[in-house]
Amino acid sequence: MSTISLTIDGRNIRVAPRTTVLEAAKLLNIEIPTFCFVKGKSKAHCKICLVEVEGKAKPLRSCVTVAREGMVVLTDTDDVRAQRTKNLEILAESHFGDCKAPCNMSCPGQINIQGFIAHVRKKEYDEALRLIMERNPLPFSVGRVCPRFCEVECRRSLIDEPIAVNHLERFVADWCLEHHPGGFKCIACKPDTGKKVAVVGGGPAGLSTAFYLRKAGHDVTLFEGAEKLGGALRYGLPEYRIPRKVLDYEIKTITDLGVSVACGQKWGRDFSLNDLKKKGFDAISLAVGALKGKTIDIDGIDLPFVHPAIDFLKDVTDGKKEFPGKRAIVIGGSNIAIGTARSLVRMGVREVTIVYSSSPDKIQAHKHSHKEAVREGIKFIPMAIPMQIFERGGTLFMRIQRMALGEPAKSGRSHHVPTAGLNESLQADIILYSGGQELALESFSANSLERKLELTPSGLIKVQDKSQKTAVDGVWASGDAITGPRSVIEAVVSGRRVAKYIHAEISGEKKEPAESNFNFTRGDTLKDVDPVLVKGYEPQKRETMPSLEMEERLICFDEVRKGFTLKNATREAGRCLSCGCTAYDRCDLRRYSVSHGVDLQKTGMAALHQYPVDASHPLFEMDLNKCIYCQRCKNNCEYDALELSCEGTDEQKRPVGLSFSFNDKCVNCCNCVDSCTTGALTKKDVLVPIINEPVRYVKTTCPYCGSGCQMNLKIKGQTIMEVVADKSAAPNYGMLCVKGRFAFDFIKHPDRLTKPLVRKNGQLVESSWDDALSLVAKRFTELRDRHGADSIAGFSCARATNEENFLMQKFMRAVVGTNNIDHCARL
Amino acid sequence: MASLALTLGSGAMTNCVSDFMNGEPDVIFMIGSNPDTSHPITGLRVRQAIKKGAKLIVVDPRGTDFAKQADLWLNLQPGSDVALINGLIHIIFKEDLWDKEYVEERTENIEELQIVTEKYTPEYVSEITGVSVEDLHAAARLYASPGQKSSILYGMGLAHWVAGTDNVKAVSNMALLCGKIGVKGGGINPLRGQNNVQGACDMGALFNTLPGYAGLTRDDIFDKYEKMWGVKMPRIPGKPATEVWDNILDGNIRGIYVFGEDPVLADPNAGHAVAAIDKLEFMVVQDIFLTDTAKKADVVLPAACFAEKDGTFTCSERRVQRVRKAFAPPGDAKADWEIFCELSKKMGYAMDYESPSDIFDEAASLTPQYAGINYKRLDEEGGLQWPVPDIGHPGTPILHVGKFTRGKALFIPTEFEAAKEMPDKEFSMMLTTGRDVSHYNFGSMTRRTPSIERICPEALADVHPEDAERLGITEKSWIRLKSRRGEVKVRATISERVQVGTVFIPYHFAEVPINNLTVNHLDKLSRSPQYKACAIKVEVLG
Repeated sequence: MSTISLTIDGRNIRVAPRTTVLEAAKLLNIEIPTFCFVKGKSKAHCKICLVEVEGKAKPLRSCVTVAREGMVVLTDTDDVRAQRTKNLEILAESHFGDCKAPCNMSCPGQINIQGFIAHVRKKEYDEALRLIMERNPLPFSVGRVCPRFCEVECRRSLIDEPIAVNHLERFVADWCLEHHPGGFKCIACKPDTGKKVAVVGGGPAGLSTAFYLRKAGHDVTLFEGAEKLGGALRYGLPEYRIPRKVLDYEIKTITDLGVSVACGQKWGRDFSLNDLKKKGFDAISLAVGALKGKTIDIDGIDLPFVHPAIDFLKDVTDGKKEFPGKRAIVIGGSNIAIGTARSLVRMGVREVTIVYSSSPDKIQAHKHSHKEAVREGIKFIPMAIPMQIFERGGTLFMRIQRMALGEPAKSGRSHHVPTAGLNESLQADIILYSGGQELALESFSANSLERKLELTPSGLIKVQDKSQKTAVDGVWASGDAITGPRSVIEAVVSGRRVAKYIHAEISGEKKEPAESNFNFTRGDTLKDVDPVLVKGYEPQKRETMPSLEMEERLICFDEVRKGFTLKNATREAGRCLSCGCTAYDRCDLRRYSVSHGVDLQKTGMAALHQYPVDASHPLFEMDLNKCIYCQRCKNNCEYDALELSCEGTDEQKRPVGLSFSFNDKCVNCCNCVDSCTTGALTKKDVLVPIINEPVRYVKTTCPYCGSGCQMNLKIKGQTIMEVVADKSAAPNYGMLCVKGRFAFDFIKHPDRLTKPLVRKNGQLVESSWDDALSLVAKRFTELRDRHGADSIAGFSCARATNEENFLMQKFMRAVVGTNNIDHCARL
Repeated sequence: MASLALTLGSGAMTNCVSDFMNGEPDVIFMIGSNPDTSHPITGLRVRQAIKKGAKLIVVDPRGTDFAKQADLWLNLQPGSDVALINGLIHIIFKEDLWDKEYVEERTENIEELQIVTEKYTPEYVSEITGVSVEDLHAAARLYASPGQKSSILYGMGLAHWVAGTDNVKAVSNMALLCGKIGVKGGGINPLRGQNNVQGACDMGALFNTLPGYAGLTRDDIFDKYEKMWGVKMPRIPGKPATEVWDNILDGNIRGIYVFGEDPVLADPNAGHAVAAIDKLEFMVVQDIFLTDTAKKADVVLPAACFAEKDGTFTCSERRVQRVRKAFAPPGDAKADWEIFCELSKKMGYAMDYESPSDIFDEAASLTPQYAGINYKRLDEEGGLQWPVPDIGHPGTPILHVGKFTRGKALFIPTEFEAAKEMPDKEFSMMLTTGRDVSHYNFGSMTRRTPSIERICPEALADVHPEDAERLGITEKSWIRLKSRRGEVKVRATISERVQVGTVFIPYHFAEVPINNLTVNHLDKLSRSPQYKACAIKVEVLG
């Protein structure tokens, strides 16, 4: 047969007659984007596969352009890209969906919230925790104290109340603590790189940096000035918020990865940056936090029994559990202030008053803590300024000035103005103030490296840019030390970012490009979301977390909030609407839009939810709002089971009035779903969108019938996300049946055997391998000695591997000494 | 498998599935197989062949989708396959449609075939099978038509009979007579019930052959094994799995090692197996779940599943392919190969393998069909179809090209014998069993997947509309099926897929333990049980 020679992007290839340019390019592994192409079926309508052919004025559709002798094709010219981009923009305008869920978008840590909740729904708690820890190594603490940026944007609010994301995060963490008392061991580290990193400061930022660098294979040492690791988690949050047992487990999970720990080693006192450099550390990260209480400028601040709240809290968290006085005043509306006040209540102080300057709705502390403090009997005096502290007869007095809202200024904002006649004096045995925290830097000698560190006007460590590099070469900084006091999750993000940059620098690898922020959304914020999206859902109240009774909580430092029960967690996870697209990683529309620089802000996406989602099929859902009418689902169906049509087209020739159905020829293979170029067709049980860490593909052979289909298991952690097939591999060439594509939940089923069992007193009881195998060996040997080898028979397994069948028959023949070996070929 | 080894020299599928995809066969002769449900992707390839113009003959008592779209559907009485095939052979002789040159050159014993099939006249065969004389003629002419490529596809519907091996010999006779074996698009193609039946046989997990089908009488081979393994090897053939129960009850067998099977659920006349197990002195079960059999064991060893270990499977078309580990097994569970190694060591025999690749290399050195295969090749080239006699060999898509494995193929004429336990006055209906497309075997895997349960949550018994009307059975109503051995309760669905007088039930559901009813009559050569038919009576429960 004669062949045709052509050139594509400068590479020559010979192809059979009637080969299209698209197919020829594929042979060269050159990807030309296309949505609609299905050999012999498509009508070349998507117009994305454009290429330039020498001698032709306009770009041509490569799927219908037949290769000719001597043809010269270019697949990636500016002109081609511009036209494709234009066509992509037209398609994008008809696509209505969310790429990522709003919770995921609004979490500073970008935790795959929808994903971990899906694991909770499937009762896969180890995997849920592992998934959270891809982005947040402190799920125990964050699950207790996070301000919950995610819950604000939860679409469930349009029905009833947001999902209790934070409570679920804590539940997952606590479940693992309970079930793996020896430590959570599901985190894998890369092979050792031989690079050494010093992390100075064992608070949330430092722990995060250490975690991610250790995972990347580096040798990490954590230096901590205090006796124990934890920083603000240990010394800024009393036990009724984070129990020590929980915090210790959380930290152990990180240090057990092989992080060296040097506690009681204070930077400036025990070592300097120069010392670390001399010890051969390839990088240093400063994460010393901001735990020094700022002073406030009023008379009497130096009196005895007037202290920074943070110092008092440190003593409490260090074990001080009693205070003899009866009345206390706490100045400030921060979390530290409220934490101090609630600690005082637990220490037996009867009257605790918080004086703060803002109005109650603007209080700086978490709303929840504020509410709990009120319930615990703490008195709040809002909009009040302390003026003077003085002592008389062993009692402290504090004069305050009450404020009120003044006339609005031109800007519309009202300022606080003093009210006349409402000045009063409060009495106390102790006054604690929280005026914010700052970095505590020791003084360093003039020629030290430390002197080269630049500071911000507010006394924080100055970093150059996103990389968080300091002015000193090889030294980075993160967390509160560069931002001032922030939430734990923000410290985690800062620590994680530093780890990424340090890893790139010391390993010489290029930093992974940041994930594209390209995102289709059905509403950036809750108020943009059309309520029709949540129509049809039955309201189901958010689960409430059990708490300690008031009498109990006021006499001890036990954790107030007891955590979700398994039933709470399962019900709460069931409320998730799974807003994010489960086709996130396979969506061609998204992939091509990103690669062609489509900017949705400029060109826009569809804004209407026109079609109800069709969930009538047992295995997949059809959301026509996402459909771009490439028709690949229908054209790829080998059973003629799908109907997809439209009533007409709009002025851009886009189809309108779509309708979709399937008939009784459907064999549930769901090849249509894997053919979908967007997330219009999605599998019902694929619950975990694939974001953050990449997936692995494991090529293997189907364990069901004798057809021997080849398939790729899409694996993340220990989870099969879904099963797909390679279109080029014999014998199934991309096809799988319903079993091949779906029937894998048995692998993680709780019924799996996990320990050898031995019968004792009539019951099967768990045993060690050694005992179980010794017993088998002993009994088989006895039978053979007494009754001959032929008194033992073996059944082999036609579902196990060749190697195992070979060994089974070898065991029976060579070890036992009988040909009594057979398998179920005929059963 | 046993029959084809006798007639052709190899029991495996002669051709490959891509033949169908590429539209090679002109005629497809499908007997006792419904690949739509049992081998869906193979079924798809058959559909593609039909779309490309292949003619289809279906021999099946069930009105499957393939039967309905066939050019010829021979709706025979269950268990009358040998009569039917002998009838077709009779016509092929009479109408002189056979390939004389091929038969002369490549086969032996044609004379006896002619003698035996002489009495299977179309009229006689029509009486036994219920298939019309016209259809018999049409089928014979279509299958045999000289110059056309005809492919036979058969499944467990042909093998799960007392006369299972006779059935297979009969189709082998017909294919040889017409010269349809050893050519692209032709052949005789058994579809294996499970993922690695082929491999388990290849590896010698059989009571009468060593790896590579080496017989127990070959001194040269025994020398090789004894030298390599350093032990004296047993020469007396063992007991086939289906005879183990009687041998336990007779006191010959006292301990069993059950690896990945559940005979309490799977064995025909399951009550018999349970009685035998109760008599055992010692039983160890190695599995991924606590099966009904495992619950009775003295020791249960937790195993890894396919996604938790490395290895190879060999599929129906003799293609050896890799299985790869995706993640660790749960808890303390271990890969089966590791368990064998450790147990063997405990018994004083060292099995030191670093990995499944090592085991494969040893197996390949003892199995001529696998001699040229190793993991490196499988990883680089993908699956290889045996025989692969040496490292440079590309694999063998079609067996018996030019020459049979056996040398000359052998005609083994067979006589029709009525199936055991046909319906009678008391047990007036026939029960037959099979698969649903979404489930697999006894459901230990598929029934633990919620999405599959949504598609097919329960066993439903197919009852023909005429029987339903006669007995007063309505859709989804409860019925009780009784055989001489046991009974089950099940809901009915009215369907024309079954013949009048026959009830079909899928066997995946533990709550409908259908093997309490089936008979444990065994085929005389392969010792396969007759799963496919037993006599029952039907009671309507409402």
